[in-house]
This record gives sequence, structure tokens and C-alpha cells, in this order.
Amino acid sequence: MKKSDLLNILQEIAGNERVSASSAELYCYSCDASQVRGMPDFVVRPVSTEQVSKIVRLANKEEIPVTTRGAGTGMAGGAVPLEGGIVLDMSSMNRILEMDIGNLQVTIEPGIIQEKLNEALEPYGFFFPPDPGSSAMCTLGGLIANNGSGMRSVKYGTTKNYVLGLEVVMADGTVVNTGSKVTKSVAGYSLNDLFVGSEGTLGVITKATLKVRALPKERSVLLASFDDPEQAGQAVVKVLSSGLIPSACEILDRNIIEAINTYDPNIGLPKAGAILMFEVDGTENSVREGIEMIRDICSPLATSIRAASDKKERYEIWAARRLVGAAVSRLDPLYTRVYLGEDIGVPIKELPGMLHKIREISEEFDLPIMTYGHIGDGNLHTGMCIDVLDEKQWDKLSKVADKIHRTAIGIGGTVTAEHGVGSSRAEYLELELGNALDVMILIKKALDPKGTLNPGKMGV
Amino acid sequence: MSESDMRSILKCIRCGTCRSICPVFDVVGWESASSRGRMLVAHGISQGMEVDQSVFDSINTCTTCGLCEQMCPSGAAPVKVVENVRRQLALQGKMSDTQKELRFEALDKGNPLGEAKDRMAWLGDSKEDVTKQADYVFFAGCMASYRYPELTKRTFDILKKYGVTVLEEEVCCGSPLLRTGSDPSELVSKNMRQIKKTGAHTIITGCAGCFTTLKNDYPGDVKVVHVVEFLADHLDEMDLKKLDMKVTYHDPCHLGRCNGVFDAPRQIIRSICELEEMKSNREKSKCCGAGGGVLKGYPELSREISKNRVEEIPKDVDYLVTACPLCRTNLKRGDPRVDVLDIIDLLEMAME
Repeated sequence: MKKSDLLNILQEIAGNERVSASSAELYCYSCDASQVRGMPDFVVRPVSTEQVSKIVRLANKEEIPVTTRGAGTGMAGGAVPLEGGIVLDMSSMNRILEMDIGNLQVTIEPGIIQEKLNEALEPYGFFFPPDPGSSAMCTLGGLIANNGSGMRSVKYGTTKNYVLGLEVVMADGTVVNTGSKVTKSVAGYSLNDLFVGSEGTLGVITKATLKVRALPKERSVLLASFDDPEQAGQAVVKVLSSGLIPSACEILDRNIIEAINTYDPNIGLPKAGAILMFEVDGTENSVREGIEMIRDICSPLATSIRAASDKKERYEIWAARRLVGAAVSRLDPLYTRVYLGEDIGVPIKELPGMLHKIREISEEFDLPIMTYGHIGDGNLHTGMCIDVLDEKQWDKLSKVADKIHRTAIGIGGTVTAEHGVGSSRAEYLELELGNALDVMILIKKALDPKGTLNPGKMGV
Repeated sequence: MSESDMRSILKCIRCGTCRSICPVFDVVGWESASSRGRMLVAHGISQGMEVDQSVFDSINTCTTCGLCEQMCPSGAAPVKVVENVRRQLALQGKMSDTQKELRFEALDKGNPLGEAKDRMAWLGDSKEDVTKQADYVFFAGCMASYRYPELTKRTFDILKKYGVTVLEEEVCCGSPLLRTGSDPSELVSKNMRQIKKTGAHTIITGCAGCFTTLKNDYPGDVKVVHVVEFLADHLDEMDLKKLDMKVTYHDPCHLGRCNGVFDAPRQIIRSICELEEMKSNREKSKCCGAGGGVLKGYPELSREISKNRVEEIPKDVDYLVTACPLCRTNLKRGDPRVDVLDIIDLLEMAME
């Protein structure tokens, strides 16, 4: 079918104002926050499951790729249309369909922003715990499709722990519902788990029923400074082995501390080789007890320990922490943060060793690596900044990222703990998953035989 | 494209922070209408992308409010990039009809509104108070002169006792041209020649657009203050009575966020009545939607942005106060039921 005919049909389905093939729009939808690029032929902003179904069915019939996109904040190219075709921008499907607090759940459309959902839940005294740094802009659909998590996953787990049910448009346009409103069900395969984290390769999520949790009565933050990240890693292992589960446990290395202080000088983090940011939530007593336990455990290793003075300081610390991934770009006017090799996860007891290896890799390639992340669940973000106009630095960066990935896999870790595989990490899945990748490929072929859903991603 | 613009574009890591705050994207919903999108489009242009209507719309729908620059974690400067891209395209003759009209009217008639009437008519009987030389010059601006002549006269009447005069042949400050890519130097020279003739050491203006332009884009060392700054320094001399009412305040982007004038208007308001802040305020204040040529070029978009802004007005206030005639006009467009006052109106209520 000719492009002009396809454009007409898409406009008939979604309306003229919701379809674009303009040069500016196509260029803007050719990337996300990663380095991956792919130019779409059309961008559609659907408003209903029916529209999504019709578009996906059309694409399947015409064998045109369909790439689903939330807010385009991904760091692995998951929402980039590598092989052209249609980008489905789901951000207009952003309604809360049912606030079912009595059943501790909420049903939403995928385009709602994480922070907006939590703003709506707050008056009820509830929240949706997965809390990525991009919570002010990322959509729930993107979080589900990438099984995102963030700073509170050490206690509250990842998005998959909150998905009760999904409405999914399959590759042929059929609409299916997975899961149910009950919190426990073993009726059939766990299809929720199949679609969560599938990055739009198996279907398009058009609705989700999510568990929500009661907001804790109290939260408190403790900052512990260390001479180096390895010692911080040892402290984390000790804290988590004590039986205490903090609601957040973040590491910031020397450069990240400087970046936060540059972004917001009011925060004034102490100078140190590394800082651990612990948050404990719960009742007043349990929080006090938890903070004291962490203080006792960290004391022998830490150079200093201080608690956030009040709610305002706590809020400011977390707000700055959320943006630090990008804020490292401020450290040098010529350098820009590049997301590559930035999302490894390792078993908890391997943390000190991995932190040490990161330092060795940094020295070997003479490229500063800034380390931060959700160390409480073994998830380290390794941040690198380069002059993106310098080809040699790109080459060095790619080598460093590759070595970080292979080192993590070598000690039983993963190349991506929460940002997703997309296309930038697809090449490592065979090494990490072995013949489990063959099962993934079989599933992909069974559900999307023509391969129209987000082709070129996840190694399938 | 200049290296500094390219560096700024490359600073953008497309994290999407601007998506959550850009008042234009909030209305339009397409990626090209976000700051991140504009940075990409600017990059595309630098790589030879054809400049069609979609490119114009992306670049020209920015109100230059600067909220994205304020919030950008990686330190990119989208407003500077947008203004520079507009300028480069204009130099190549690539301008929208609105840009051309703004330029033609401003250079031909001395104001972008296309008004042919006597600009200084607002002076009325205060004409006799105009002196050739003074320490201060009151720069009225186009919007105030033509759309709010009575308010402008009243402003001058308050100021004149402090040794303030006006320019005999004031013309547009050049702001609309600067924001939309045209060269304002003819206007700047004409105003500067007259300012020098008065011997004034300070220019006072009541328009946020004029303020930022006079302050940041004019040559020389003449001091520029907004009328709120000037009057906040003279509050003790004004014998204001307290009014039993509550107002809220809209920070004009080019007064507040771009130049850091947040406290002076609040000081004036609090000396008169109770102030309750809008949902977003000070550095994070949302734009009224009028700036950057958007009101002229995209009036419906501009109105929708304004609607979103007036929705941030607290429920129980008597008035929305602002300190810029362009903001005032557009906030009224956002919701005609909203009582919008210039801060001078409020001041006069307390002087009566």
C-alpha cells in the first residue's frame, strides 16, 4: 500500500489531528534518551483501545512495524522505530478509569504519568510505589512495558509486583485481558508477567489494573559518608543482612555528589568518596528504630553520618537524586552524559567487588565513571560523560560499556536491572540468558509471527 | 549554527524533564512542541533538514518563557537555541507571515501592533510635565501605550514626582523582533539616542518584555528597573491604606524567571493586602502563553496556555495581579471572567 493511502486510513481511524507524517514530528520521534535512532513513517496518538486495535491490525496486514511509545524517556532505544513504520504515542490515553481504593487497586490507561497517578492517589492516603528518577515524566505504560522500578524497589519491588491485570492489543489486533482484580490467582499461565517487561514486542498495553499501597505514616532519611564506594558497598551488605529493609538505599560516588551540589547548591551534600542515602518508612517507632539500626551498622565503616533535618530537606535530597543522571552533564560544559552500560545489576554480596571492578575499568580506559543507583537491590548506574563530537571518545565509551556489561554477567549479574534491553543491550541477551533466549524467540514467533511489533528489540 | 548553540543542543540528553513542564507541549501534545523536540528540530536544521511548516511551527511555538532552562537538569538552554534558530532562518529569508508582519509593523510604524496613531497620546494633560532632561526615563512600551493608555498615564503620574520624564518619540523596544528572529538594531538606536539626550541614569518600564530587552539587549550602562522595583523602594513615601482583600500574583516570565524580580511585586502587594500564591510561582511560574510571538502567531494556542495558567488561580482571591500588559491581556483572554489588575491598579486602589 502507498504511504499516502496508509496515511489516509490512519487518519480515518484516529482523526486527522492525531496522525502526523510531518518532517518535524518524524524527526522528534526518531529517538528516546538513548543513542539509538530510527525514523518512523507515521506517528499516531491514539485515544482508545479500539483505535489501537485497528491500527495494529492494519499494520499486521500490511506488515508494517509498530513501535509503542510512552513519554520517550527510555535509555535503551525501546521506543525507537528501528525499522520505520508507525510509532504509537500512547500519552493521550492518560485517564484513571477506576479508583478502587476499597480493593487496594486502580485501573488506568497507559499514558498517565507516574507522578500524576500518585498525586491522584495521595488524597486517599495511597501510592503506587515504583518510583523511577523519571517519575515526573514517564508513563505507567512505559514503566509496565519495561518493568521499571527506581528508588524504592529495595522494599517495594518492581512494577511487576503491582500488576493485577492488563488489557493488551495483540499483534493481529485482538484485544485480550490478562490477570484479574483478585490479588491471588493461579488460573493459567501468568500472562501478566509475560507482558510486563516485554517492551512492546508481544503486544500493546492499553489498560492496566494496579495494586496500590497505603502511604507510610513516617519517612526518615539518613546520609552516611564513606572514603570509597567499596566501603559503602560493604555497609549495604551488612544493613541488608541485618533483617532491616529500608525503603530506599542509594549510592552516590564522589562525582555524583559534586553534580548534585552543582545542580542545587542548597542541598550541600558532604564531600566524601561515596554517600549512602538510606530511607526508612513505616510507623514513627519503626522508623526511629530502623534509622538507629542503620546508624549503628554503618558507624564502624562511615566517616560521618547525618539525618535529613526535616521533610523539606528530605524532599530536596530526593528531588536532586532523581535528576542526577542528567545533572552530571553540568560538571563540564563540553561533556554530555551518555546512557550506555548504565544499568547493571549484580547479586548483593558481589556489590563491593563490582564497585572495585568499575574503578579498575575506569582506570584501564582512563574514562571517569560516576556511580550511583539503587545499591540496595544491587542495581548500579554507571554514568559516563564524553565530548559527543569526539569520535575517539565514543569508541572508548563503547568499549567501557561493553566491559561493564560482560563483567556484570560474569559475576551472575544482569546488563539491565530496570532500564530495559531495547536495542542497545540486545546483543548481550544470549550471553546473559543462554538458551532461555531461544524460549523468548519461540514466544515472540508464536504471538507475533510477522514480527511487526517493535522489531529489532530484546534480541528476539 | 554557532558552536555554543550546537553545544547546548548536545547537552540535551532527551530525559524529558521539559515535557512535564513546557506549557506549549501541555496543550499541543506532540513531541515537536516540547523543548526537547525543539532541540531535536534545531539539530535537524543544522543537519540540513528542510524547513517546512512543521519545522516553523516547532520553532515558532516556543513562548521563550524559560521554564525548561530553569528546570533542565543537564544545563541545556533551549530558549537561546530557539531564538538563535529563528534569527538564522530569518537571515536566510525563512520567516512565517507573522514574523514578517511583526518586523514590518515595528520598523514601519514603530510598534508591532500596526498602530498609526500618536504613540504618546496617553500622556493627555500630563504632557506638560514632560521635561527634556531628567534622572529617570519612563519607557511605556507598545502594549501599554496603545492598549492601556489610561493606566500608562496613571503610572507616569505616580512616577513624575521622582524626576521622571518620557522619550519624545519612543518606539518599540525591539523585543518582539528579537524574540522572533529579526534585527531590532534600528529601533534600539532610535531609543538609545533619545535616552542619552535626556541624560537619565535609569530607565523605568512597566512591561516585562521591554524590561528584559532594555536591560539585557541595549548597549551602554544605563540602569534599567521595572516599575515594581522602583516603587517597592518608595513604598514608605506613598501613604498606602490596607485593603481588606486577597489577591494572587502572576510572575511575568521575562520579569521573574529571566531577571530574578520576584520580591518587589510581592512586597508591594503585601503592603496593601493579603497575597496567596498561584499553584506554580516564582522560578517555577507557568507562562501566560503570550510571549515569543506566540500570541500573534498562534492565538488559539496562546489562549489555551493562558486557560491552563488561570486555572492555577487560588479559589478565594479577589483579583489576579500582574506586572506586564502583555500578560494581562492574555490572562484575560484565558478566562474573561477573571479580574486581572496591573499592580499599578492595585496601588492606586490603596492610594484612593
